[in-house]
Amino acid sequence: MTQPADLPKDATHRLEELEHGLFTSDLSVNEFLLVKEAGFHPLGFVMGSSIYHIGLQTRKWGESQELTKLTEAMYTARELAMTRMEEEAEELGADGVVGVRLDVNYYEWGSDSAEFIAFGTAVKAEDGTSYKNALGKPFTSDLSGQDFWTLLQTGHVPQGLVMGTCVYHIAHRKLTQALGSVGQNVELPNFTQALYEARELAMTRMQDEASQLNASGIVGVRLEEKSHQWGSHTIEFLSLGTAVTKTTGEVTLPTPLTIISLDN
Amino acid sequence: MADPAEDLPEAAVRRFSSGAFSSGLTVPDFAACLQLGLQPVGLVQGFCVMQWGWYGSGSSYMRGANPYSMGGQTAGAYSESYRCPHGYVSAEHRMWGQNLEQPWVEQAWSSGYHSAYARMLEEATALGAHGVIGVVDRVTQVSDSQTSEFHFLGTAVTVDDGPPPAGGTPWTTYLAGQRLTKSIEAGFMPIAVVASMASVRVWAYCITEYLMEGGRGWGNPNQVQEVEQVTKAHMAVRQLARKHVRQQLVGDALHGVEIDVVKRELAQGDEVIDCTIRGNRVRRFKDFDNVPAPRPTVRLS
Repeated sequence: MTQPADLPKDATHRLEELEHGLFTSDLSVNEFLLVKEAGFHPLGFVMGSSIYHIGLQTRKWGESQELTKLTEAMYTARELAMTRMEEEAEELGADGVVGVRLDVNYYEWGSDSAEFIAFGTAVKAEDGTSYKNALGKPFTSDLSGQDFWTLLQTGHVPQGLVMGTCVYHIAHRKLTQALGSVGQNVELPNFTQALYEARELAMTRMQDEASQLNASGIVGVRLEEKSHQWGSHTIEFLSLGTAVTKTTGEVTLPTPLTIISLDN
Repeated sequence: MADPAEDLPEAAVRRFSSGAFSSGLTVPDFAACLQLGLQPVGLVQGFCVMQWGWYGSGSSYMRGANPYSMGGQTAGAYSESYRCPHGYVSAEHRMWGQNLEQPWVEQAWSSGYHSAYARMLEEATALGAHGVIGVVDRVTQVSDSQTSEFHFLGTAVTVDDGPPPAGGTPWTTYLAGQRLTKSIEAGFMPIAVVASMASVRVWAYCITEYLMEGGRGWGNPNQVQEVEQVTKAHMAVRQLARKHVRQQLVGDALHGVEIDVVKRELAQGDEVIDCTIRGNRVRRFKDFDNVPAPRPTVRLS
């Protein structure tokens, strides 16, 4: 399922309906208005999913280390879901997808498996300008309609939702180590360094993705930490953000208005 | 990680050599940051995992003794003793009570906080930043229950045509976006984020224990009565946290203060009250700009 032809039959049927003018979207009314104000029209709600079997990897009890197999699984599965969502957007002739969300679901019937889902609203510029990214694909972004409008006012356009992940095993402390520092307030440099390294790896990988898109920066970076079903000593560090490029030179932003709300 | 000046992880150095900037700012904050003449140069972070020592479980044998005379602990600024007025002698009857500051806990917290902060500053300095905005700090427990991680995140920025920061150390602020803009328009420049923590242990004596268990007024069941020992502990912990944070201001002002009080019961009648104060150390550099008259608005949603 890597080519556009691999979309499910029902997806093709749904997309055909959307091509005839009807659009679906998960935008709120305010978001819809601002996306229109920014010069874009929603084409349809698009999604992609991948059910992935996450392999096993041995870990050393007393050693902090990256679990590369798990990192690869978590990254590839999300990429597959994202690619399928982009395929749906391309089928609709979209310039991009806004409000992208990434979820991971676990089911009782699939031990060691997880479903990775990506969904968002495909949009197209009303004036016919192409906003496809440096790779010739529709841009993706986790920005809300309001954020999308604001970003365009700053002279930047989104290039893609970029992410980096790192699954890291945090070492257990040996009895001798624990006894050696009992009753003391001390820094545990090995733990500090392990957690630090894991987050930096996730962020570096995210920035590598942005560089491939020739982005000038990433906005709204989030750093999420989850143990999923691996126990408390194995943590996935996921770094996510929207890569942007600057399109125009000097931009003069309007001075914000001071208001007083008369609502309760 | 003994020398914060040279201990950046290799991955951090590689990340900084990349061309694209990263920023933890929301899009509205990013827009406000550009409007203010600040250019984001990178998301910066700092961490420190600390093990918390063991401080005993509040043995009744210690009541009434000087808590700072044992184990070479640093003396606190606050301790107060309470003595039972009844003259009973019984293992069940709490004859002594004590409120005491725990400077060893405060020092551990301060050490973790400032180590993580120094590492974030180190990343910002490596990026040539003038300041760090939108700082977020948190303390979380790491797997084993005895360890806590101090975690700092912020967006390093440069000031358009601005001079390098005084002393080479970037300024920092918890503020970003319009809140930062308004603070600067009001004539205050950010200097640094500051925080302090105070910890007071309460070992209840008989009257406190009775009242905390829901007993009516001592000697007069119909009268509502203040639990004096706990009230004093609450007042003391807040005053101590304020005193500690004031020592970091060196004559500057503190804006946007957040006070967080956490109470933990360790055993019946024994509890710890921790108070954390965070805020922005700011310095006045110009007179207050008049804010334009606000326009009344009504939401339609």
